[in-house]
Amino acid sequence: MTRRLSWWMGGILMSLLLLFTFSVFGADRPIGASTYVPYYAGILFGMDPKDYTYLQEIEKPGAWEGVMLLGSLTGGFITSVFITKTFRISVIPAGWKAYKNNSVKSRLLWSFVSGFLLIIGARLAGGCTSGHFMSGMSQTAISSMIFGGVVLVTLLVTGKFFYKKTKES
Amino acid sequence: MSIGEYFDFVLTRTEDMYNIVQYEGHGSFWLVFFIGIVFGGIIQYTRVDKFEKIAGFAMGKDTIIPKMLFLAIGITSIALYFEIKMGYASYHVKPMILSGLIIGGIIFGIGMAIMGKCPGTGPISIAEGRVDVAVGAVGGIFAGWLFTKYYDSIFKPLMGDSYGKETLVTISGDSTTLWVLAYGIALIVIAIIIPKMELFDEGDLERLEKEERPDIIAQREHEEFEIVK
Repeated sequence: MTRRLSWWMGGILMSLLLLFTFSVFGADRPIGASTYVPYYAGILFGMDPKDYTYLQEIEKPGAWEGVMLLGSLTGGFITSVFITKTFRISVIPAGWKAYKNNSVKSRLLWSFVSGFLLIIGARLAGGCTSGHFMSGMSQTAISSMIFGGVVLVTLLVTGKFFYKKTKES
Repeated sequence: MSIGEYFDFVLTRTEDMYNIVQYEGHGSFWLVFFIGIVFGGIIQYTRVDKFEKIAGFAMGKDTIIPKMLFLAIGITSIALYFEIKMGYASYHVKPMILSGLIIGGIIFGIGMAIMGKCPGTGPISIAEGRVDVAVGAVGGIFAGWLFTKYYDSIFKPLMGDSYGKETLVTISGDSTTLWVLAYGIALIVIAIIIPKMELFDEGDLERLEKEERPDIIAQREHEEFEIVK
């Protein structure tokens, strides 16, 4: 059985999913994956939408992405158990061990900080890899091209300076 | 808010979420849930949620992310253009809030390189048992709370003015079709010519049969790859 899908097969399937989601037969909207975070934060922290303009603004996209998230958790879990066989509990990624350090404390601290940065950044820009990069650039949106360019450069610069050049022995 | 009131609040909000998705005309609850399953399935099946794929790309050791991403955008941009032209879909373009896009893009890029995930791929890694990503999600939820709380006073002013919702279609005048085709084809060509490089996690590969292992296949095809343990 094929345990890994090639990048080109993945690209084609993702493209079909985008086209279906955009179409009137699907959801007649783009795919997005960062608005659900403040939406769920609002629920968890007991924030009433009446008191927060942002929650009013994201009421609909937040709910939509909130449901999609539940689906992607399910799809990711099923695929990891039955197809890719990658389900296991782990704390430090192998790449982090090889090119950063072997400390659980360091990885978890950086995870918290970077998770925080991801959401602040995505919400400031109005989208993330899904909303801007995939859905936005597919609509040839100039805003998404600007975001995509800035993210690409920052990602590569951060990667160059944050990680070690050579493998830990 | 007492515990009882909080419980009621969470239930009401969850019910609201269901009702919005079910009845607001963007698919039904189950359709959107299904889109999520397929989305999660594709990302998991191609392994692009892995730290070694995203942070590996940032380190210049893995190119699966840009290859798959550019191919998907290239194909979709051409097909979506005609889908919209035929009236089966419409544009949903995000505004050009210049300072928001640049400041947000920089913060996002730093977070993505360190976390080795983005908001779409993170949940799929949590679903396959990655504890560090769950901790990252706590950081994200905290950011969502902070952003919502200080939206009017700090974040909205920081995002700056919108310069409209331009696309290649709105600015290219009479030769729109040509521009969109050139854009889509250019992206597909970029996806193909980026050299294929992979960073594999031995912890993932050791559970597979020998003939199923992607590193064995890469070796056979003489592709560039590296394994970390």
